[in-house]
Amino acid sequence: MNRMTGILFWLALLAVLAFITMPIVVVVAASLSPTSAVSFDPSQWTLRWYADLASQRWLQPFLLSVEVAAVVAVTSGVLGLLAAYALVYERIPASDAIMSFLLSPLSVPQIVKGVAIVLFLSQIGLQGLLGTPALIAAHVVLALPFVTRMVATSIANFDRGLDRAAQILGANKLQRLIHVLLPMVKPGVLSGVTFAFIISFNNIPLSVFLVRPGDTTLPITVINYLEYSLDPVMAAVNVASMIFILAAIFTFEKIGGFSAQIHGGSK
Amino acid sequence: MNTLVLELPAAPARRDGRSHLYAALSPSLVVLAIFFALPMGLMIGISFSDAASGTLSLANYHRFLTDGLSLAGIGRTALMSFLVAVSVTILGYPVAYFLARSKGRTRAIVFALALAPELAGVVLRTYGWLIILEDRGFINDALLHLGLIDAPLPLSKNLFAVVVGLTHVVLPFGILSLMTSIQGIDPNLERAAQMLGASRASVIRHVVLPLSVPGIVSSLLISFTMAASAYATPALLGGAGFKVLATMVYEQVLFYVNWPFAAVLANALLLMMLAVSFIGIRFEARRRAVHKGLTGGAS
Repeated sequence: MNRMTGILFWLALLAVLAFITMPIVVVVAASLSPTSAVSFDPSQWTLRWYADLASQRWLQPFLLSVEVAAVVAVTSGVLGLLAAYALVYERIPASDAIMSFLLSPLSVPQIVKGVAIVLFLSQIGLQGLLGTPALIAAHVVLALPFVTRMVATSIANFDRGLDRAAQILGANKLQRLIHVLLPMVKPGVLSGVTFAFIISFNNIPLSVFLVRPGDTTLPITVINYLEYSLDPVMAAVNVASMIFILAAIFTFEKIGGFSAQIHGGSK
Repeated sequence: MNTLVLELPAAPARRDGRSHLYAALSPSLVVLAIFFALPMGLMIGISFSDAASGTLSLANYHRFLTDGLSLAGIGRTALMSFLVAVSVTILGYPVAYFLARSKGRTRAIVFALALAPELAGVVLRTYGWLIILEDRGFINDALLHLGLIDAPLPLSKNLFAVVVGLTHVVLPFGILSLMTSIQGIDPNLERAAQMLGASRASVIRHVVLPLSVPGIVSSLLISFTMAASAYATPALLGGAGFKVLATMVYEQVLFYVNWPFAAVLANALLLMMLAVSFIGIRFEARRRAVHKGLTGGAS
């Protein structure tokens, strides 16, 4: 009986893992297949669809997505760090209320935020901002609460004993901030920045309202094509953008070493 | 719009040691006030205005309640999100239990397999399901080839496809909330039950499952809200006839350019989300109260 339960449990686990990996495996295979029929035979695989990625049709949206995501990541990283510093480290009056305001966008669905922003811009006559500027503003609104929360957590975990030790040793406020607090919260800030980069790069529900012809992000370009065809090029685009995201995370991790924090190592 | 008031203390730059702190805080407050609080207020206001004349009116809400399509859209959104919430929680449970109770290399591999898809983005995964579920897709091709069916099964462009796609998108979040809850259960309870002669199946049923109810509830709630506000997956996997609140909002903005009605639909979606999180908060409060009662307020 117990063995039976064990076997059933493992079967269930493997089935769920197969369900999770299946669409990704299929897309990777599709991107390597010679025709639009998906082939799982590695001897037939080809990289010809990847050659199309260099065309302007894909390169332009990709570069726009990278540009928007980079600006969003840096902006929300800096703003989130400053806000969390004032609210959690210095605990200015009404910190909790202000923090709730900063986190309030989290409880509003993205598509609702998107409608609100596009409606706002059109009502006050600033449709001209649609495209890159509106994308950046909306993605910052999306990412900032996440980043603020991540940085706030790492400041809350910061050991103030270190700060006092530095003070006793004669460090002034600025020196303590730069040489004590900042290095200790760096992993939190960098994981926030990485997260901001990813959610901006992959975003659909906000971007769908804010792009305009010639100023379209990669995911929106892809879903617009997907409605017409399941071209293998699309698979190649998707796989390439996944590899790009993994590379970006790897790079940020090399700079920041935040996986130690995720595993509960630092502190 | 109450939230806007919170910004006021930042305005007067007082010349004491604190002014630089308000300066540090103000960029975030200004960005959120201009691009979040103000637009949200305006959107709620516009839902009460007439599309043609711009005067104050309840016509949009009247249309919402009487045109039939909108209420059907809410019903479809709720049904879809409910099915996703249940599937995520059932599928996520064995993975979460395994992750909570094991260590070492296998755990690391399962963890990576379970969560890595999140990085791939919604488009890639939805595209994968399109290839798999299409009429001339992967599953139908295989079944036709094997002679098990004569005509392709209707696997795509319907509720089934959307539920499969969304379950896949939301699953990592369900697994994480279940895992956290199961990790909080003392493994000694399971050992004790086993020593007293309970089979593994009955340990799971009578010990682990009841104690992980908070995790189950939070997995259901998070899955429901994520599914109800998803846009891309229902739009691509559901086909043109499949309308949920999120895709209806999109249609009103970009095809009909009816701002007030789009605002009404968006408000309905927002209300639905708030109602679900309210249920979550109530549940958590009640659980805490019961827990406090049991431990004599010692916790």
